Amino acid sequence: MTKEYSVIGKSQVKVDALEKVLGTTKFAADYNLPDMLYGGVFRSTVAHATINSLKLEKAKALGGVEAVLDFHDIPGKNRFGIIIKDEPCLVDDKIRRYGDALAVVAARSPEILEAALALIEVDYNEIEPIFTFERALAADAPIIHGTTNIHQVKHLVCGDVDAAFERSDIIIENTYSTHRLSHMFIEPDAGIAYYDDEGLMTVVASTQNPHYDRNEVASLLGLPYNQVRVIQAATGGGFGGKLDISVQCHCALLTYHTRKPVKIVRSRSESTMVSSKRHPMIIKAKTGASRDGMLMALEVQMTGDTGAYASYGPAVITRAMAHCTGPYNIPNVRADATFVYTNNPMGGAFRGFGVPQVAVCHEGQMNQLARALSIDPIEIRIKNAHQIGSKLPTGQILENSVGFIETLEKARAKAEDVL
Amino acid sequence: MNKISISLNLNGTDRTILVYPNRRVVDLLREDFKLTSVKEGCSEGECGACTVIFNGDAVTTCCMLAGQADQSTIITLEGLAKDGELDLLQQCFLDEGAVQCGYCTPGMILAAKALLLKNQSPTEAQIKLAMSGNLCRCTGYQKIHAAVKSAVVIYKDKMAQGGESID
Repeated sequence: MTKEYSVIGKSQVKVDALEKVLGTTKFAADYNLPDMLYGGVFRSTVAHATINSLKLEKAKALGGVEAVLDFHDIPGKNRFGIIIKDEPCLVDDKIRRYGDALAVVAARSPEILEAALALIEVDYNEIEPIFTFERALAADAPIIHGTTNIHQVKHLVCGDVDAAFERSDIIIENTYSTHRLSHMFIEPDAGIAYYDDEGLMTVVASTQNPHYDRNEVASLLGLPYNQVRVIQAATGGGFGGKLDISVQCHCALLTYHTRKPVKIVRSRSESTMVSSKRHPMIIKAKTGASRDGMLMALEVQMTGDTGAYASYGPAVITRAMAHCTGPYNIPNVRADATFVYTNNPMGGAFRGFGVPQVAVCHEGQMNQLARALSIDPIEIRIKNAHQIGSKLPTGQILENSVGFIETLEKARAKAEDVL
Repeated sequence: MNKISISLNLNGTDRTILVYPNRRVVDLLREDFKLTSVKEGCSEGECGACTVIFNGDAVTTCCMLAGQADQSTIITLEGLAKDGELDLLQQCFLDEGAVQCGYCTPGMILAAKALLLKNQSPTEAQIKLAMSGNLCRCTGYQKIHAAVKSAVVIYKDKMAQGGESID
């Protein structure tokens, strides 16, 4: 008997779609408040440096400028980050990427803001910038954070990999590399901070992560959580790229000092420069199989570049490693993953958290195995596919729905229709 | 720099305003006329979020200066619904699920509207060409195209029954 549902199985008009087709939906940049100031950020134009001097006096003296702040003006903690607190709101010890925030300005008009930012002068003491994985690990390379450029190392071992390679009839070895990607959400980051009627520090922002933002703003300002409220404005796409702090802390800091509403709207180039990116990875894979196409062993070495700050790097490295076999049963697996800090843009959350990177590898390996063994590429996948009861190299047993074989068969039927 | 006087017909109403000649039309509309359905996405005419109908054509207002708007007719998304009744395209975007985050939606609807004002029975290729200046990062475009095609079909049916013209 099929039960008739009122919602499930039927097309529904999205709950906020009417306002969106009318154009009345308010995105963060659409908010304006009385006495509102325009906020902006003075950013580094080098990737790795200490600061000899940062001169804010001329900007402060400009008419219509209400605040010019650097790290000295932060009342609380000058470090944020979703997993590891390693990113400054305003640089204090050193610059770690092109576009690091050095100072913030609040002014009475966008034109005055632009003029004030142009009056700030900085003198850098440049350090060799690290842009590659290899250079990050070199013995003589400068250290970006703490005592090592290694951000995280993880290992996964299951079964007896060496013995399984010895028993394998065929071994396929390849190196895959994936590149850095920008989410390019259509709405550049924006937000506005103000004190509400009850005196609460309030931030309305384009964000995917209002609860996290609230904690970071509170920590920055040295306020208890119940004195900060973050409201998510209608958000014009994020795809993981709006999980990190963007304008929230800068707006809140300017409002804290001026007591006035402050709005920051990033330009597209500023947004692209400092928002998180998909981690570029290099994945070396060695796959062993029997003559009839049964997978026997996999050895994977993956390296990733988390850029200047950790962001979601620790989550990405774990997910990439746990998914290195793809949806295939491989009884013997050895995976080693190393992520490093560099002076590149920050790697972060990006649809799939490292899984799309390893998919390039495991699917490439399967295609080559199929070709080398003259087995149909879908057939070899079905032979090795995860099913209910499959045990993953992490020890997890798949107990519930596993739709992979069904998916492959439907894809094959569809492909046969088209071809 | 001296301000200049700009007169235009905006969403059916004649308006005159004093602005600096280097003010961009997107700022004129968003800041001076408070028409915030006009979105800014890229600031270089690439994404189409700031599209309006300017003298009958879909144009990106981030690349236009205020002086160019003098003596023009501009329609923004705020000017599309009449007396509380949605424009056919707005209704089709709702019904076809063509709206996701909503940031590209105003530009998408206006690009489609500009097409239908000139050509009431566009081919699929003509629809795709007319919408090609507008980027959407959420939907994958299929539902947006479905919405425009649906509007074309509904409009043809209405005309066959002796309905009103599309504008």
